[in-house]
Amino acid sequence: MFAVEAKNLKKTFKSKDGDVEAVKDVSFNVKQGEIFSILGPNGAGKSTTILMLTTLLRVTSGNGSILGLDVEKEDKSVREKIGIALQDTGIDNLLTGRELFFTTARLWGFSKSDAETRTSELLELVGLNEAADRRVKTYSGGMKRRLDLGLSLVHKPEVLFLDEPTTGLDPGSRRVLWDEIKRLREDGVTIILTTQYLEEADELADRISIIDDGLVVAEGTPDELKALIGGDVITFIFGNDEEAKKAKDLILNSETEKNELRVTVKNGAEKIPDLLNMLSDNKLEVLSVSANKPSLDDVFLQVTGYRLEGAVEEEEDLDEEMSKNE
Amino acid sequence: MNKPSAPFLLQLGILTKRLLLRLSRRPLAELPNIFISAFFLLVYDGALGGVFGGGAAGTPFDFAKGNFLNFILPVSIVSASVSGGASGIYLVEDIESGVFKRYQGMPISKWAIILAPIAVGAVRVLLQATLIMTLGNFIGADPATGIAGYFAVLGMAFFWGMGFAGYSVAAGVRSGSSQGAQAATFLFFPALFLAPTFTPRYALKGWLESAAAYNPTTYVLEGMRAIMIEGWVLDVILKGFLVAGGFAFVTLTFAVLSARTATEKS
Repeated sequence: MFAVEAKNLKKTFKSKDGDVEAVKDVSFNVKQGEIFSILGPNGAGKSTTILMLTTLLRVTSGNGSILGLDVEKEDKSVREKIGIALQDTGIDNLLTGRELFFTTARLWGFSKSDAETRTSELLELVGLNEAADRRVKTYSGGMKRRLDLGLSLVHKPEVLFLDEPTTGLDPGSRRVLWDEIKRLREDGVTIILTTQYLEEADELADRISIIDDGLVVAEGTPDELKALIGGDVITFIFGNDEEAKKAKDLILNSETEKNELRVTVKNGAEKIPDLLNMLSDNKLEVLSVSANKPSLDDVFLQVTGYRLEGAVEEEEDLDEEMSKNE
Repeated sequence: MNKPSAPFLLQLGILTKRLLLRLSRRPLAELPNIFISAFFLLVYDGALGGVFGGGAAGTPFDFAKGNFLNFILPVSIVSASVSGGASGIYLVEDIESGVFKRYQGMPISKWAIILAPIAVGAVRVLLQATLIMTLGNFIGADPATGIAGYFAVLGMAFFWGMGFAGYSVAAGVRSGSSQGAQAATFLFFPALFLAPTFTPRYALKGWLESAAAYNPTTYVLEGMRAIMIEGWVLDVILKGFLVAGGFAFVTLTFAVLSARTATEKS
């Protein structure tokens, strides 16, 4: 039995201007104990898919099930099995972290003493012991996300849905949250994670589904997806956009973006001298050149035809953070 | 390990306690509202008490005999009851902040989520009414029905406050915004003043007399005044309870129906 099954999920919203298809056709299966990432830009249909699978939104057509329970027909039972940390679920800022854990545990049916014990366990788990008795409004963004994650774990769910859990966090806080998500997987929790960060999907996910415009456009492990590219990616940087465009006419199957030209070839390191010579013969000056194994960014570009916004900034942020730590 | 959710009444209790905890965390926003009705009791008594008797005895302004405080105290209680109208704002705050959605994602009753702010509104009304009656007793109110009369007035205030809380919650979930919930409280003013607020109903004239006859507040005020001034005049008191209870029933039903529409999955 799969932990999560989505079969031809579709969601249409009625609006004054006609129907809007937020999710056109999404199917995937998630095995128990794996981290499954749904990757895509804003508006791709990631959150809508999650809302349907967490019983918070009606399914227009198709089927969804959690541990064999139908999300439409057995919604109460589904909610008992899952933990949810959504982008737009809120936290009561006037209460303390300890009060929130205790209140949530009581709502889940824990006795007072069990709720106190669970509160202490979770405060420890998400590293909020020292801030436990402070009101949440004094917490940083990272602390709030950790609290949110902890609240979704109160009843020890078997399946956890995390909708863009690190959006807006600084790289340091993001890494702390990643470590906690990995630890949950080690405890056997199945995790469905939506993200618009390629690095996040690459770091955490056992398998990834790329969603674009309400459709699944690719699915596989990070390595399987990168293998779709079929070689190394060589990137040339030119002095201006015009030169990059001229170079594109010379190099087959290449793509340009501003003053950058990328081409996928087998044995990239061997091909670079020949390509440089050809460009030089055509009086095109290359400022820099590099050959890399394909990244998820390259995969995303190949399967959608455009790059995920913010991917470059994201990599730069993380590189900067890593160099600070070194 | 999965836990079943708490039973309904426990859920309601936990959610109500959470909202009360929230109120205690912003005393500056809540305390003025709690004291304002008690303050108006002092103002009404100070400003009008002399006109209706006491110092005006034997003058053309001697409109009433007896204790004016017993007459005006129900006005403060009724105006305090409308503070139940804050309930809709509590609920909308939860909707706007996303806390409501968090609870929707748990296997807990949506009725507990809706009724908790109404319960908080009722607690708040009881608190204010108790404060007003304590102050009234201290400055000279003496109900014709004795101490038991205070409890009867408190009971009527409770139902009346629940009525406003239900109305406010319905307005809140229908508008989906705290401004909408706040704007809906505008209804409280005609409800309070198109009634025999400062004089007995027979002293009202023309259109105001007609309006008062159709205003449920009139019967609540008259019920409370019977308790305070005349004694156990059962038909008037019963009418007050029926109107307050009926108002609560109608608005709570309205709130529940509105909430059902608002919380239904889209």
